[in-house]
This record gives sequence, structure tokens and C-alpha cells, in this order.
Amino acid sequence: MRRPLAPRSKPPLRLLTGERDEAEAPLLELEGVGKDYVSGPEVVHALIDVHLEIPRGQFVAIVGASGSGKSTLMNILGCLDRPSYGAYRLGGIDVGQRSVDERALVRNRLLGFVFQGFNLLPRTTALENVELPLVYRGLPRRKRRRLALEALEQVGLLARVGHRPNELSGGQQQRVAIARALVTRPPLLLADEPTGNLDSKTTLEVMELLERLVETERITLVLVTHEDDIAARAHRVLTVRDGRIEDDSYNAPPPRRPSNTELSEQEA
Amino acid sequence: MLEAMWLALRSVARSGLRSVLTMLGVLIGVAAVVVVVALGQSARDQIGAQIESLGTNLIYVFNGDAETRSRRNERVGHRLSVSDAEALRHQIAGLRALTVYASRPAQVVSDLETARVDVVGADHDYLKVRGYELRSGRDLSVLDVQTKARVALIGSTAARRLFGDTDPVGRGLRVGQSRFEIVGALAAKGQNPFGSDQDDRIIMPVGTWATHIAPGRGQQVDMIMASAPTAAAVVSLRDDMDRVLLEQHRIPLEGKPDYRLLTQDSFRQNQEEIYRVLSVVLVSVAAISLFVGGVGVTNVMLVSVNERRREIGTRLAVGARPADIRLQFLVEAMTLTSAGGLLGLGLALAGIFALERQLGWVMQLDLTALGLALGTSLCIGFIFGLLPAQRAARLDPILALRHE
Repeated sequence: MRRPLAPRSKPPLRLLTGERDEAEAPLLELEGVGKDYVSGPEVVHALIDVHLEIPRGQFVAIVGASGSGKSTLMNILGCLDRPSYGAYRLGGIDVGQRSVDERALVRNRLLGFVFQGFNLLPRTTALENVELPLVYRGLPRRKRRRLALEALEQVGLLARVGHRPNELSGGQQQRVAIARALVTRPPLLLADEPTGNLDSKTTLEVMELLERLVETERITLVLVTHEDDIAARAHRVLTVRDGRIEDDSYNAPPPRRPSNTELSEQEA
Repeated sequence: MLEAMWLALRSVARSGLRSVLTMLGVLIGVAAVVVVVALGQSARDQIGAQIESLGTNLIYVFNGDAETRSRRNERVGHRLSVSDAEALRHQIAGLRALTVYASRPAQVVSDLETARVDVVGADHDYLKVRGYELRSGRDLSVLDVQTKARVALIGSTAARRLFGDTDPVGRGLRVGQSRFEIVGALAAKGQNPFGSDQDDRIIMPVGTWATHIAPGRGQQVDMIMASAPTAAAVVSLRDDMDRVLLEQHRIPLEGKPDYRLLTQDSFRQNQEEIYRVLSVVLVSVAAISLFVGGVGVTNVMLVSVNERRREIGTRLAVGARPADIRLQFLVEAMTLTSAGGLLGLGLALAGIFALERQLGWVMQLDLTALGLALGTSLCIGFIFGLLPAQRAARLDPILALRHE
């Protein structure tokens, strides 16, 4: 279904995979990134001059009121939206201004999404849902099946592979969605209120699953939440307000030693 | 690609009734297309063969219809007669053969059976003009005609009905009080272009016919048939015959004749006209229903795209390119229409069998019909699926994901 993609812009798009150890460089870098929307006669500055570095293996929570710009930030991080200005580097590659198809490739290779509403395809089994990103990668059926089963095993749902979303509980659905995000082994997992639709018990299960992935797989997790106790579990909390990162703080004890630049930025 | 088709089949199955209604237009359209093509492949040949069965290079003289006879300046009621035929025969040299024709259905009794058949009065050249072959016995002779002999030829259907499988030659027949001897049996000829059996008749000298079958008709006949030696000679011979008949019937210079001259070609044109009208009707039906079906497809697909924005957003998020989304919805539309097309092919087959029954045309049906049905419906699916597919592909993933 999918043919190999020929990058259109001059520097060819080389994508790093999660397996490579790139601990020294930050996985994710925003440099003066902003986003303006034209809304009727007005220009809305949804995001203003954001600088941000997130190293590999960090669990970052983004908090902020609605309309603060945190969704815009997530959309840009997720390559769903292009910054109006500034540079967004993912694994050292500027992905901000890539073409539509190249950004699709970035999403497929480097990113995993977990949504508040799970966004599983209805009337489609858990296994097929998890296979979906691999379909767009063009993998043969057998290989897809194997990888999807591995991912489902990782989230502890091997017993539910043939179930459809309406036959699964909310927590199970979210775990299927996490398996779908994981199946491509992306270095970066973006979760938009992943526990927003879950009760407190399943919230805990899902959070523990996500944290385990950060610890064991060295996955970088960026999570939007408005719940303080979820944010409190993160290594680092970014508070977004009026299109700027108003606060960037580490929860004690910092699980990983931040780099000097990060420290100096934090104090500035 | 297979993946996309599988997805498509599922979502088509999911939308149930709506899909069926949409497919209906495509179904009818494809059926019409297939029938038109099946007609085109064979109808002309069929028409040709049936026209040929009338004879070769024929010129017909019919009695004028009531309308022409009601004109005041014409001699009302003058009908074609045996003497017209005599005049034509003597004054026109180039004719291959010429015969009068008069017919009336009658109850005919043999030793075995009774049946109602057409009893035809004609000249000794009737078989030659009409291209009948003798299966056994002899043709009507000049002498038979002159002496009004009580002899008859019998067509194969009439022979079977009256005599079963036995040879009718030499046997007797009775019509009313009159007895006739069968001198010849004809080989089968089949249906004429107007759908009647040309073999369910007996043929006797016109004088005999006028005396015994239709007393009171006198010299009058239903028509005169002549056969030209070549196709090229038909038109000039027709004009010659016209001249002779104008003279015979004393039609004034500007007057309207009380007879009609037709050539075999005009039958062919009539038949082809019927075929042409049928084709035009079917093509229009095809075009209209394909268009309506296509618009329905667009509509269903637009609704589907709208309802599935979230799904589209999810697919985009996990790495689908807009082209992948477009392909998915195109394949869905094409799956929808080809399902309709295949059902349409079934309808077409039914329709073709019905037409074969009605018109007696044998139609050619092979894999091209399948290819045609599939091809047409795939094209419709592609054309009318393009807009919704394009719309799906252009969705902004952020807005699509936000859709509840």
C-alpha cells in the first residue's frame, strides 16, 4: 500500500530510530517556536517564542488552562501542525517545516500518540488496531501481526487481541491505544490527557504502564494533563500560559541528571 | 491495496440500507449498458437474417391505406388485382420473378387433424420470389395457375400440425366444402421480421384461392411481390413498377397513388430504427441512472467521510499520508459501485433473456459483459468517489481528531 517515500526538500529526511543511543543530544528541541492563527480579522498568537529541550527518557507533563496554548504545543510536537516560526528538531532533524507526506512519515516512525478518547477504530479488533501504524509503514501482514502481538503483550492484553473496542473496558481500550503507539518503537510518546476518560483505578494502571515504558524502554513521554496528581508523577512539569512556557520545574527527586543548559534555563 | 479493499468492504457492509439504495442507481445503469452492448453485438445480424428470410431484393406493392383513398380526387376503392400483376409482368422486362399474394386464415381439415392456418393465393413464382425451398413434391406450375387447379403447397409448420410426421405430398385437404391436393411440401423458413411463422401456411393458385377460399374478392389481392435480379436493380425496377401502376390505376399527374411501393431495404431501415430507438432509450437510461447512482455514491461517501473524521484523524496521526486516505475512500467508493455493477450484470442477464424471448434475437454474452459491468462501475466509483476522497485526504488532522 505504501511506497517508499522520496523526501521532497533538499536535506534528505533521515530518521533516527529509538534503538540508537543518542543520549547526549536532546531528543526534542524547540527553538523560538511560535504559532499564529488568523481568526477573522484578528491574529491569535497561540504560541509565542517557545524554547524547549527534552532529553531522551524524560517524562514531561504539560499543564495549563484551556486556551493556554498547550494543545497547540502538543500539535506541533506531534507534527500535526507546523510552527509559524522557529525550529523544531526531533532526533536532531528539523521536522517543523517538512511537507505533509514527510510529516506523516515522522509521525509513523518517531511518534506515538495516546488520546484522551482512545481513538480506536470501531468494529476492528484490538490486534488490527495495533497493526494500523504498521499498515501505513507497508510491512507485510505476518510481520505486522508479530509486532502487534508483542506490543499487546507489553501492555498485558494478549488475552484480548480478538476483542473489538466496544467489548473492552476503558482502561483496556487505552492500553490497546498505548500498544498501537508503541508498536512502531517510537522514541517519543505524546499523550493528550490519556486518563481523562478513566476512573481512578484504571488511571493508576495506565499511568503505571506509561511510567514503566519510560523506565524500561527509555521512551520519552510528553503528557498533557490538568490533574495535579498526574503531573506530580512526571519528572518535569511545564506550565503553559498565554502561549508561553510560564514555568518549567522538576519534581523532586529529579530522576535523571538534567544537562547544564537545562539547569541554567530553568534558573533564568 | 488489498488492505484498503478489505476496509472498504467492511464499511460498505456497515452502512447497509444506504449502500443498497446507492447501488440501485449504479445497478440499473450498468444493466442498461450491458444490454445495449449485447444488443449491439447481435441485433443487426439478427435483423439482417430475418429480412433476408423474406426473399432477396424484394419490391412490394401494397394496397394504399384508408387515408389515401379518402382523398376526393382519387378513385376510391381501386385495389391491386391480378391484372395489375399481369401488366407488370408483361411491361417490365428486368424482373426476376413476380407474384400476387392474397391470404386469409381458414379452418383446414386433413385426414388426421383440423387446424387454423393461413391460406395463401399466389402465382407459380411465389416460391422463387420468397425464397422457399421445396422439401418434397413439386412447385405450382403455370398450368395450375391458369386452370385454377385445386392443388396446394404446404409449409412445414402447417404440415406438422395437419399431418404429423408423415409426408403430406399426395394427401388431401379440405377447406369448407372444397378439397385440395397437396403437391409439394416446403422446407422450414422460420419467423419473419414481424414475428410471425412463415411456415404455418398453405399456398394455392390465386384463382383457386379466389374461387374456393375467398369468394367475392374477385381479382383483388393483398399485395404484389417482385424480386429484382440484383440489389442495384431494385430502385430502378421499383420506379418502373410505379410508372406501370400509375397507368394501370389511372392516377392523375399530381394525384396520390392508391398503392404503396416498398422495398426490402425499407423493412431493414424500420427494424434498424426500432433497434436504434431501443439503444438510445437504454443508453439514456444508463446515463441517467449512472449519474444518479454516482451522485448517490458521492453523497454516501461524503456522509461517511464526515462521520469518520475521527477515524481519519487517527489514521493521519499514526502515519497515513493524505494519499493513503484518498486511496482508502476511493477504493471504498469503487467497491460500493462494483457491488452495484455486479448486481446490475445479473439484472442485465435477466433482461437479455427476456428480450430474447420477446424479439427472438439471440444475444452474444461473454466475459466482455462482466468486464463491461465491472469497468463501468469502477469508473463511476472513481469519478464520483474522487470528491469525497479528496475531501477526506485534505482533512486537517487536528480538526479531524477533535471531532466527537
